[in-house]
Amino acid sequence: MRLIPLAALLAVLSTPLAAETLVADPAAPVTHEGNLRVMTKFGSERLRPYFETLAAAYMAAHPGVTIELIQEDDDSVKAKTKTLLASNAMPDVFFSWTGTWGGNLVRGQRAVDLTEVLDSDWGKTLAPSAVDAFAYGGKKYGVPLYLDAKFMGYSKPIFAEAGIEVPETFEDLLAACDTLKAKGITPIAVGNKSPWVGLHYVGQMLAHDVPRAVLEADFDPATATYTDPGYVTTLNRLSELAARCTVGPEMNGIAYQSALQMLSDGKAAMYYQEIIEFDNSASASTVLKPEEFGHFILPAPKEAKGDPMALEGAPEGYMISTASENVPLALDFLKFATTPENGKLLSAPPYGQPSAVVGGADPATMNPSVVGGLQDIAEASYLIQWLDTVNHPKVATAWLNGSQALLGGTMTAEEVMEGVRAAAEDAK
Amino acid sequence: MTDIHQDPGAATRQEPGATSRRVIQEFWRLRWVAVAVALVGSFVYWPIIDNFRVSLTHQDIFTGETSPAGLENYRRLTEDPVIGLALWNNLAYAVISVLFQVFGAFLLAAIIEGLGSPRARAFWRAVYFIPSAISTTVTGLLFYFIYQPGMGLMDGVLQGLGLGAWSRVWLGDPDTAIYAIIAMSQWQGFGYAALLFSVAIQKIPAELYDAARMDGAGALRQIWSITLPMTREMTGLMVIITVTGAFQVFNEVMVMTGGGPNNASQVLGTWLYEQGFNQNDMGYAAAIGSLIFAVTMACGLAQLWLNARRRVT
Amino acid sequence: MSFWPAMARAFLWALLLSLGVLVIYPLLWMALNGFRSNSQIFDTPFGLPDSWALTHYAAAWAATRGFLASSLLVTLVSTVTTVAISAWTAYGLTRTPMPGQPLFVAFILGGMMLSPTVALVPLVRMLQGLGIYDTQGALILLYTAFRVPFTTFLIRAYMLDLPRDLDEAATMDGASPGTIFRRIILPLCSPILISCIVLHILFAWNEYLFAMIFTNSPGVQTLPVGLSSMLSKQGTNFATLFAAMTISALPIVILFFLTQRYFIRGLTEGIGK
Repeated sequence: MRLIPLAALLAVLSTPLAAETLVADPAAPVTHEGNLRVMTKFGSERLRPYFETLAAAYMAAHPGVTIELIQEDDDSVKAKTKTLLASNAMPDVFFSWTGTWGGNLVRGQRAVDLTEVLDSDWGKTLAPSAVDAFAYGGKKYGVPLYLDAKFMGYSKPIFAEAGIEVPETFEDLLAACDTLKAKGITPIAVGNKSPWVGLHYVGQMLAHDVPRAVLEADFDPATATYTDPGYVTTLNRLSELAARCTVGPEMNGIAYQSALQMLSDGKAAMYYQEIIEFDNSASASTVLKPEEFGHFILPAPKEAKGDPMALEGAPEGYMISTASENVPLALDFLKFATTPENGKLLSAPPYGQPSAVVGGADPATMNPSVVGGLQDIAEASYLIQWLDTVNHPKVATAWLNGSQALLGGTMTAEEVMEGVRAAAEDAK
Repeated sequence: MTDIHQDPGAATRQEPGATSRRVIQEFWRLRWVAVAVALVGSFVYWPIIDNFRVSLTHQDIFTGETSPAGLENYRRLTEDPVIGLALWNNLAYAVISVLFQVFGAFLLAAIIEGLGSPRARAFWRAVYFIPSAISTTVTGLLFYFIYQPGMGLMDGVLQGLGLGAWSRVWLGDPDTAIYAIIAMSQWQGFGYAALLFSVAIQKIPAELYDAARMDGAGALRQIWSITLPMTREMTGLMVIITVTGAFQVFNEVMVMTGGGPNNASQVLGTWLYEQGFNQNDMGYAAAIGSLIFAVTMACGLAQLWLNARRRVT
Repeated sequence: MSFWPAMARAFLWALLLSLGVLVIYPLLWMALNGFRSNSQIFDTPFGLPDSWALTHYAAAWAATRGFLASSLLVTLVSTVTTVAISAWTAYGLTRTPMPGQPLFVAFILGGMMLSPTVALVPLVRMLQGLGIYDTQGALILLYTAFRVPFTTFLIRAYMLDLPRDLDEAATMDGASPGTIFRRIILPLCSPILISCIVLHILFAWNEYLFAMIFTNSPGVQTLPVGLSSMLSKQGTNFATLFAAMTISALPIVILFFLTQRYFIRGLTEGIGK
């Protein structure tokens, strides 16, 4: 057991004692020297080269700088962040989601306050709604890199064959499903084995049924009540959608990848997906070709009490560590990552991640569906964030489990909301 | 050990350095166990002690703050409905596994060892063992696909047998999820258990069976009155391994359902993971760890007690 | 008279055979799916694939090579450390004079009762403190520490049954305990050592809990973790996933078939007392 005190000693010794920078100063001079550690969420084969290209270009321009990339993927970035937090080894620049995840980093004083920098001229080159998504307590902490939103992707040939137009209202969508089902086609492929799939439907539909002010009060653990009747309305609408458009409770045993495959194989008419998945649904190697792929926003019901023009989605971006020894340099690298040229690189295939930079998209190089989706994001009156990241983890879990149980037919809308309210109470 | 104590006075009467040299010599004898004790002590025992300390705190990974929580995390254990569900699932795991991997495997081993040809015995032992050699990640993923509605083998087989109506969303239905996982686990584990029973059965002297045959005992009779009692120690060992294993189960559930849907297939291990590593509640996770420790410890002690009692009677 | 025994025999063979099919068929299906295309996997779960092209296997090999290397390193090193330390310890516990010997036996073998899950939360911080979090070293250390009790248990039981006069004769000839261990006892223990090596390889190659929690860089992660993350990384490329699963299972199945005779012999002599 002699190892234990030694371990403790090592832990103490390895903790950096450097002073923390809490607020970034836009006037601070940049010295292009030293080492910069950057943790990204682009670890997959398709996205990995983006930051590698960026880092190489930056180092070529500034020979005194070395950039060390830690590239994680969607699944591993959470664990990696927690590890680095626990060992006080946060990289200078790190990935963050909006909502509770970023909020926790801000609460733990891990992220530098970038308000002054983002209010300067450079900040104006970024989409304002995306910058605001990283605001906590009136201060801005994150640099958005790209935008993401949820759309219904559909097969144009199947729609044409069934004589269906792109639905304008939720009621039209249900009617279209009936037509497709009558023809023996699965209207919407859903694989809800991972419960966030179903919860993404809930998020978009809530924006239609519950006023924005109510939603935002409920997202804040301090003021959450979740008593608006619109919540039950949404869940009941979802049940109806599931009954008329999908395979029903069976979806809880299907992986979302299998469901996506059904659209790609031309076996289902629609699949609800993120804009960053468009290039996955239809490509040169799938049955459904890119020109046969179309998209629309999940439509609002005729009498919506909320905001019919709202869209579910959130930007994703980067923060600077308060433990960084060279905040001006870290900031300079983020400015480099958000130049219009690098924005265009990110928006175009193979990356296909719509840049958050104003003018960071060039329709000539992009998948037309992504261009159209970007236009829809720009026109949306309100971007409602993902329910599983905007809420307190306990509330998020209640939503995830509840919506999955609802779709599996083992819970009613009222029971789901009871669970959410109990979790919100618990999270206070 | 005795040689040192032959003349305890002699050492002290001689030069003062002799005592310390004896002590050093004594310690030198421990070199054989030093590495194992240090390793097992630091990485097996100490974390379990440390776990109790953590379970009495609240930890915030984002701020890096730790605050004392008293018994709060344990109070939450009693109020958390998922804990009851997880305990039930672990229990179901244990009971079904004992049926298949102790009693089923025993019978199978008795059948295999009753085969005339040694090659046939070796063949069947090896075939049934194969799934145990494969990682639970692989078998979990495999069964995840087997159970998939539409693409899975399970539905295909049921339809082929004209039992299409029985087909279900095995992993997506809260009523069947945990049992589908347990079934996979039996598929994977019975061959290993059967192999261990085979090993025990091979140890039984052949004369016992010869004598029984002389008395006109049939095969079933021989299994009942010779094989079973002669492998009692192995059976006891297998029960304890299976039961404690069932309360520590993690991989199968993690890979196949992650505890879903709506926590229906949650077991203690996955709930600990969910609380500690997804919900950042390390203190509560440690309290769940203490519960796992208590349950497995109780199983172990019960087994020791049973063993002791059996020896007396 | 001979009807019933014949029936019983036929029944037993049918039972063994159907159990065999139950065990082998899913594995065969897995290996065959590595040859099918995505749509074939969905449409025709039974029957043989249309082509035997190795494209999916090649892709799977490329995707899992890094994990394989990591698994190989962790498995090999931890097998050597675990079996060496356990044999050393078992020898000390059975054949050398040692103060407090029963206490050490209880302490080391008692480690078998303790669950790795319980140790999880504290181990995270310990390994971070040691600076080996997210390295193969962490897995090697943990696999060794958690398997030494069981391996020592097996080897100790075997050594207890070896005749004492061997050591005594050697001691008379002036051999040191270290020499006796290396020259006499260790070679005699080779059946159980082989069993222990096989058991440890099975364990280390397949371990998931520690590997999942204590590693997260792609270059460090072992096969089981790499495979589970492939489902999300490869997205809809099921054939490649099946091929990768087969690639991961194959070495260990082959190893078992090659060693099973010795493996079973060691176990029979070791624990079947």
